Amino acid sequence: MFNKKTITMVLLASMTMLAACSKSADNTNKESAASQPAATSSAASGKKVELRMSWWGSDERHERTQKVIELFEQKNPGVTITGEYSGFDGYMDKLNTQIAAGNAPDLIQMGGNIKEYVDKKALLDLTPYVGNVLHVDDFNGGLVKAATFEDKLYGVTLGVSSSSLLYNASMFEKAGVPLPADNWTYDDFKTSVLQIAQKLGKGNYGSYDLSSDAASLASYLGSIGKEVYRDGERHFDNQDLINWFAMWDELRKAGAIVPADVQVANPPTAVDKSLIVKGQVAIQSASASQIFGFQELTQDKLGLTVYPNGPAGSGMVPPISGQFITSYSGTEHPEIVAKFMDFMVNDPEAGVILGSTRGVPPSGKIRDALAAQSTPVDKVLFDFISLVSDTAPPVVFQQFPLDNEYIKLLQLTSEKIAFGAKPIDSSVEEFMKEMDKLLLKAKAQ
Amino acid sequence: MQKYKTYAAGYLFLLPWLIGLIFLYLSPIFASLYLSFTKYDLLTAPKWIGFDNYKTMFTDDYRLGDSIKVTFQYVLISVPFRLAFALGLAMLLNQGMKFLGVYRTIYYIPSLLGGSVAISVLWKQVFDKDGIFNQGLALMGIEGPNWIADPKYAIYSLIGLSVWQFGSVMIIFLAGLKQIPQELYEAATVDGAGIFRKFSRITMPLLTPVIFFNLTITLIQSFQTFTKAFIISGGSGGPINSTLLYSLYLYIKGFTFLDMGYASAMAWLLLIIIAAFTGLLFLTSRYWVYYSDGRN
Repeated sequence: MFNKKTITMVLLASMTMLAACSKSADNTNKESAASQPAATSSAASGKKVELRMSWWGSDERHERTQKVIELFEQKNPGVTITGEYSGFDGYMDKLNTQIAAGNAPDLIQMGGNIKEYVDKKALLDLTPYVGNVLHVDDFNGGLVKAATFEDKLYGVTLGVSSSSLLYNASMFEKAGVPLPADNWTYDDFKTSVLQIAQKLGKGNYGSYDLSSDAASLASYLGSIGKEVYRDGERHFDNQDLINWFAMWDELRKAGAIVPADVQVANPPTAVDKSLIVKGQVAIQSASASQIFGFQELTQDKLGLTVYPNGPAGSGMVPPISGQFITSYSGTEHPEIVAKFMDFMVNDPEAGVILGSTRGVPPSGKIRDALAAQSTPVDKVLFDFISLVSDTAPPVVFQQFPLDNEYIKLLQLTSEKIAFGAKPIDSSVEEFMKEMDKLLLKAKAQ
Repeated sequence: MQKYKTYAAGYLFLLPWLIGLIFLYLSPIFASLYLSFTKYDLLTAPKWIGFDNYKTMFTDDYRLGDSIKVTFQYVLISVPFRLAFALGLAMLLNQGMKFLGVYRTIYYIPSLLGGSVAISVLWKQVFDKDGIFNQGLALMGIEGPNWIADPKYAIYSLIGLSVWQFGSVMIIFLAGLKQIPQELYEAATVDGAGIFRKFSRITMPLLTPVIFFNLTITLIQSFQTFTKAFIISGGSGGPINSTLLYSLYLYIKGFTFLDMGYASAMAWLLLIIIAAFTGLLFLTSRYWVYYSDGRN
C-alpha cells in the first residue's frame, strides 16, 4: 500500500510546507540585495512587478490615493500596486507585525515616528535614487531634513500639516458666538465653549474634552513657557498638569464640554463617529489635513484655528511634515518604489488628484497647480498653514520617544479624572511617576 | 520488519498533525519562553535580561494589576452564568418537544458567530447609548446608561456577550442529559419525588462529568478572551482599563508598545494562572464528580 511513490509524494508535500515556513529567513538576504539598486530592475526587463502600499486615512484619502495608483499603473505597464489602507487605529500594530514577519508592504506611509523605524533598520535608504529617480530639490530644505538621518534619506514628505483646532463654524453662527480669532486666549476659548453649550442646549457642547489630547497639552505647555519633552527630559511639573486638568474639569462641570462616557462612545479621532460632523460639538483637536475627511461627511462649514495663546504667547509648533512615504528595507523593487514616490510628489497630474489630503504638498510646482483650482477646503488648509508658519515661535519640535505609551498614559489619566474615579492631584501624581518611568525606559533604549 | 512498516504507516498518517504540532505550537511556545527572558521590540534582535520582565510584572506594573482584576471579574461572573444558562436551556429543550433540531440550531447560532468580529461590532451597537437595549429600557421608563462607555458597566456588557454564547456548552449538556436513563426518573416519580428533588438527586449527580468538562473548557476559554474586549473597547481596554482583559493587555504590550519580551512573560504568567485553576478543578473533582460506571 505504501509504495515508494506515495511516500515520496507525502515527503514532497511536507517539504513545501517547510519551505513556506522558512520564507521569512530568506528576507534577510533580500534586504542586503535591496541596498544595491543595480541588482534589481525587473521592470526594465519586462517582468511583472507587484508592489503593496499601506497607508491610513479617511475614505477621501483612500479614493484619491487609489486613483493615483491606477494612473501610475497605466503609465508603467507591468507594475501593479495593491493598496492596503485603513483608519489609523491599529495601523502601526499591523505594520509592526508585518515588519517582524518580514512581509511588510513595499511602500509604507509613516508619521512622526519615522525615526523609530529608521533606528530599527526597517526602512530603505533612498539616497541612491535621489537626483536620478527621486527628485526633492524643489522642496523646502527642512522637509528633506525631517526624513534624513545620518545623511541618508529615508522618506519623502507627502504633505505639510500642523496640529490644529478643527471647529464647526455653522455651530458658532447658530449660537451667535464670534469665530475664534487668530490670537485668542484660553479665557476666550472658555467663554466661547460655555456660550455655545448654553445657547444650543442639551446634547450640544462647545468642545470635546481635550485634556486627553497630546497635541493640545503640548500647545498649552508651550503657551505657558514649558514643554512636554526635550533632550531626554520632561519640562513641566505637577502644578502645570493640575492646572490643565482643573481647567477642563471646570468646563466639564459647567456642561460646556463633552461628558466622559459620550466621548468614549464617540471618539473625536474616528472621523465617522466624531460629533463635530453631526453638529453637536463645536471644537475638536485634529491634524489640519484631516479637515478633508471631516468636511466630506457634513454640510456644516468647518474651519481651522490655532490653539489659544497663554501668558507666554502661542504654543503652536511650526508646521511639520505630517506624513512621509517610506519603503520597507526588504522590498524587492527599490527603484520602482522610488519612482512611485517621485510620482506621488512631483507628477502634476497625480498632485492634482491627491490634492492636499495629506497636508500642503511639498513641491512648489504642485502647490501652484493646485492653487489654480483649489477648493474652499484647500484654501482653509493653506491659509491655516501659512498662519501657523507666521505666528508659531521658532521652536524645533521633538517627538517624545515612546509616543504610543505616553498617549495611552495621558488618555488613562484624563479618563480617571473625567469619570470622577480619582481626584486630579493624585491622578497627576500617578501620571508623573509613570511618565518618569517612560523617560528612563527611553534612555535605556 | 513487518512491525516497523506498521509503525511507519502510523507515523506517516500522523505526519500532517505532527508537523503542525512542531511548527505551529511547540516551536512558538519554546520561542516565547526564551523571549520572556529578553527585551525584544519585534524589529531588532532580542536582548537577554534574565528575570527582569517577571520582576517588573510583580512589582512595577499597576495596569497589569487592573487587568488581572478585570479578568478575574469577567471569568468568575461569566463562567457560572454561562453554564447555568446553557444547562437551563438544555433542560428545556430536553422535554421531548417537536422541532428540537430547529431550536437546537437556533440556539447554537450565537456560538458559531460568537468569536467573530461582526458579533462584537453588533454588540457594541446594541449596548450603545441609543442602542436597542436602551430603547427597550426606555419603553419601561428607565434611562439606561452608556453601557460600553461607562467604566462601571463596560465589563458587564462583555460578560453579557459571553453568556449569550452558550450554544456549544448547551449542546454538550443536551447530550449529557440524553445519557441519563429515563427509568431513574420513572422510579423517582413512583416514589413521589418532585421536580426539584429529581433535579438535585438524579440530574445533577449524573451530569457532573459533563459539568466538569464544560466548566474546565469554559474557564480556559474565558481567561483567554480577546476579540470581544478588543473590538468593543476599540483596542484600548478602556474606559479606565475597565475592559482591559489579560489577553488584550498582552496584545497592547506586544504590538503597540513593542515590548514583545514582556508580553511573552505575561503569556507565561497567564499559562500558570490557567494551569492553577484547571489543576484546582481536577483536584477537587473527585469530591464532586460522579461517574456512574463506578470509576471514581
